[in-house]
Amino acid sequence: MSDDLAKLFEDVARTWSSVPLPNPVGVQMALPLQDTITGLAAEHGRMAFEEEPSSFDAALQATKETGS
Amino acid sequence: MNIATQTMSTLCDLTLTEAADAVARGEVSSVDLTEAAFAAFDLRDDKLNAVIWSEREASLEAAAALDAKQASGAALGPLHGVPLAHKDMYYQEGRLTTCGSKIRADFRPAYSATVMDRLHAAGSLTLAGLNMAEFAQNASGHNTHYGDCHNPWGYDYCPGGSSSGSGAAVGARCVTAALGSDTGGSIRLPASMCGVSGIKPTQTRVSRYGVMPLSFSCDNVGPLARTAKDCARILSVIAGADPMDPTCATEPVPDYEAALTGDLRGLKVGVPDNYFLEDASPEVGDAFMATLEVLKARGAEIVSVSLPEMDAVATYGAIVSRCEGASAHAQWMRERPGDYALHLSGRMYGGLGIPAVTYIEALSRRGGILKTFASEVFGACDVLATPTLRWRTPTLAEADIDAGTEGAVAAFMEISINTRPINYLGLPAASVPCGLDNNGIPIGLQIIGRPFGEAKVLKVSDAFQADTDWHKTKSPVARII
Repeated sequence: MSDDLAKLFEDVARTWSSVPLPNPVGVQMALPLQDTITGLAAEHGRMAFEEEPSSFDAALQATKETGS
Repeated sequence: MNIATQTMSTLCDLTLTEAADAVARGEVSSVDLTEAAFAAFDLRDDKLNAVIWSEREASLEAAAALDAKQASGAALGPLHGVPLAHKDMYYQEGRLTTCGSKIRADFRPAYSATVMDRLHAAGSLTLAGLNMAEFAQNASGHNTHYGDCHNPWGYDYCPGGSSSGSGAAVGARCVTAALGSDTGGSIRLPASMCGVSGIKPTQTRVSRYGVMPLSFSCDNVGPLARTAKDCARILSVIAGADPMDPTCATEPVPDYEAALTGDLRGLKVGVPDNYFLEDASPEVGDAFMATLEVLKARGAEIVSVSLPEMDAVATYGAIVSRCEGASAHAQWMRERPGDYALHLSGRMYGGLGIPAVTYIEALSRRGGILKTFASEVFGACDVLATPTLRWRTPTLAEADIDAGTEGAVAAFMEISINTRPINYLGLPAASVPCGLDNNGIPIGLQIIGRPFGEAKVLKVSDAFQADTDWHKTKSPVARII
């Protein structure tokens, strides 16, 4: 994780949740989020926001097992 | 070995359904089973550390009451007289529930979980609270506050988590079954690593009322036991609508045990050609390929399947679980930061930095991704088969983040790479033992089904166990008598 990103996480957590960096492991454990951010960027533009009312529960029902 | 020890060993070798059926036939008493379970814990748990608390006297009294009820001729439940122990996060009114944490070291809830009420109404008794990852947030088995839980196949190895004590206690044959919970693999991973069976049900299949929350979108309650049949019996008891949990599905609960016909003719088992086997350890790949031959011999057709949306599932799934975990703990992170293990406060801290719009995006995509996945995958097969862990089980030392071990964060995250995606998709998935790795630690076969397809998942798992002995093989700790 870049120093900039670590600083950003620290600022957001402190500003919005009043939680300071608990320990250096916090930076280490945030490391995999760099991959998440990269993955998120790849998804942008690929899927549109769902305009119509929908829910995950409805999807579970729509795709459920019907055989034995 | 004296007579009493022989009896303990014999009783502890019974599976859940064998024990319950033996009680029903009057061949063994609940007191006998309970005494045997405590004797097994006395002998086997010293180094295993699967137990956080136990109540011997109260449990024996409860067992005697169950025996008296049977003697009175009263109708009996499907688990009558069977002593169980559970991951220490299921609320029981007035009874200790530590959640594996220092923060809840003295927590005694004012009400009971629906699943506990159902298990007790079915005739089981709860004799102990089992070790677990602190607030169910690691897959390795580490616990700073109550001591690390160890693997019954090799003390140096991770038992899996977060239901570490559940896997270890069943794998050591101290109890026949235990509840675990699964938000990213926490039932399937300890089941795999400890050589037992476990099932994570469909999201919403089992009530979460009175269950410690971690990620309300991805949390699931389910059993770990010796066999798929045992899992079927417990799931039949705990599944189904609950007025106390409006998120719980009203879908009817089928007779899971009746589905275990062993007949796989006409059933298509999908093998992913992407993601789940990429760079797998050779012994894991070999064990997995051997399972396919067993299923084929039972009549199943093996088909290759390409899984869509796996990158999106990994990305969005990580966002949902991180954000919800951090949200659940933000208050304590402000007020009691020093009472968390280093790796836990560190993990949750990352979730606080994710913007709300990103979290909502991750949730809003979930239904559409599930529909695409189910359409493409389950249009081509009935169930998916994969290894539960992609790589061999690491040692506790290799995954010890708090000790500052180099590479521990990566080892820690890699454990659940084959289980986490299933939670975002909300699908039911079981793990059953299918081999041993080069270190003698069990390998698991993961069977994944459509939403509410638990019966089919259990049917395939049971059919596999009908022709294999991996679930019957005793761990070294289970041989201690």
